[in-house]
Amino acid sequence: MDTLARIRELAAKEFAINPEGLDPKAPLDALGIDSLSFIEFMFKVEEEFGVAVSDEDLKAIRTLADLERHVAAALTAAGKA
Amino acid sequence: MAARRVAVTGAGLVSPLGASLEEFHRSLAAGRSGIRRLAPELERSGVQVGATVDWNPTVLFKEAEAANLDRVSQFALYAAAQALAASGLQVTDLNRDRVGVSWGTGMGGAHALEAAYKQVYGAGEWRVRPLTVVMSMSNAAGSNVALRHGLRGPFANYSTACSSSAMALGEAMRAVAAGRADAMIAGGSEALLTPGVLAAWQALRTLAPADRADPAASCKPFDKRRAGLVLGEGSAAFVLEDESRARARGARIYALLTGYGNSCDAVHMSRPDRDGQMRAMREALAEADLPPDAIGYINAHGTATAVGDVVEAEAINAVFGPAAREVRVSSTKSLHGHLLGGSGALEFAAALLALERGVLPPTGFLDEPDPACALRHVAREAERIAPPRAVMSNSFAFGGSNVVLVAARA
Repeated sequence: MDTLARIRELAAKEFAINPEGLDPKAPLDALGIDSLSFIEFMFKVEEEFGVAVSDEDLKAIRTLADLERHVAAALTAAGKA
Repeated sequence: MAARRVAVTGAGLVSPLGASLEEFHRSLAAGRSGIRRLAPELERSGVQVGATVDWNPTVLFKEAEAANLDRVSQFALYAAAQALAASGLQVTDLNRDRVGVSWGTGMGGAHALEAAYKQVYGAGEWRVRPLTVVMSMSNAAGSNVALRHGLRGPFANYSTACSSSAMALGEAMRAVAAGRADAMIAGGSEALLTPGVLAAWQALRTLAPADRADPAASCKPFDKRRAGLVLGEGSAAFVLEDESRARARGARIYALLTGYGNSCDAVHMSRPDRDGQMRAMREALAEADLPPDAIGYINAHGTATAVGDVVEAEAINAVFGPAAREVRVSSTKSLHGHLLGGSGALEFAAALLALERGVLPPTGFLDEPDPACALRHVAREAERIAPPRAVMSNSFAFGGSNVVLVAARA
């Protein structure tokens, strides 16, 4: 399964949303994901992919597509992609 | 304004003796014990028995939702939802500013806290779940109740060890009586049967070992053979409401909460004091405007410690005088264990049932009453009497807090 699909699946489970309905370009708060839920979700993403997302990177992540890009980049850098 | 009378219009619970008021009543009436040997990983702490809740979070929560709520909050939400549903109180934008929450817990989210410590001290891993603070904070349970039901009235969280939820009930009663709220969800919860917490309790040398013949009989309040307390977990919640509003909407009124005594021993951090207990009982009776002989049943604190049971028996005798020969007393901790911060609320449920139905729950396993605990015990089996005029529930805590509640027929 590709990275975006895995992230989408995790988000669907965490926020109880239908994965089909998850628009990767929609702002996260439009998906009903508040700041606290977001950092908790990021923790689970980091655990799932074995990556770390810095506070700076966190600020730049506005959509699931942004998140996928960061995770993919982190995986490549760690030689895991 | 003159103090308003406060009615109990809803009750809900989840406990080692069942997950509803009716199931709890049946278990108490049958003298059934929810005390069992603990799982092996918990017994490594040295603690052998406890009263656990047979809990499946999916009864109320989706998986991801449950993962973000500590067990103590899950129990609270379950009990509170049940109580609200039972009351039939409709909370809408027209009244939600007038409905508050008053909650009691000794430790808050112990499981979440211990999971974080396990990461840091166990795994040397400095990453912990971001939700750790909001899951483990002492007010998490009560705040989650308010959040779930949109309750914007006064909020308070009480943490006074074994008297926490009795205090939550008493203070909620005050808030409604003073007109600061028209209704309050009041109760308590506790879920701290975790390895670290059990190790701490074991170190106090006050917990009962497993009874050799029958682990379910390990907690024996007032008995010569008593060997200490047994920890439990769970939650109980009530809807307390201004009586006139309750009657106006045709609510079922279980009882009136008419007396609340609150004192502090100021003598010792763990050893109880007769004088403090007497003052709390007298205050509750005075507020309820009842003589001691109006009380038909006392749900005792009765933790089954060597000293505690004697002190409480002496205090009851001193306050009740000749009436102590008549008033029935039992400690239901023998059956459901000591819920610590949740005990006041769960035991108030037991007292409420006794008031409503006249079925007095027993002190389980009381085969050899200690003569130093001279009380009219309800021993081993439930006793059926004409429903009493009023009942009393005692909660005497570590730190010296004493809370006594009196409930009377509506």
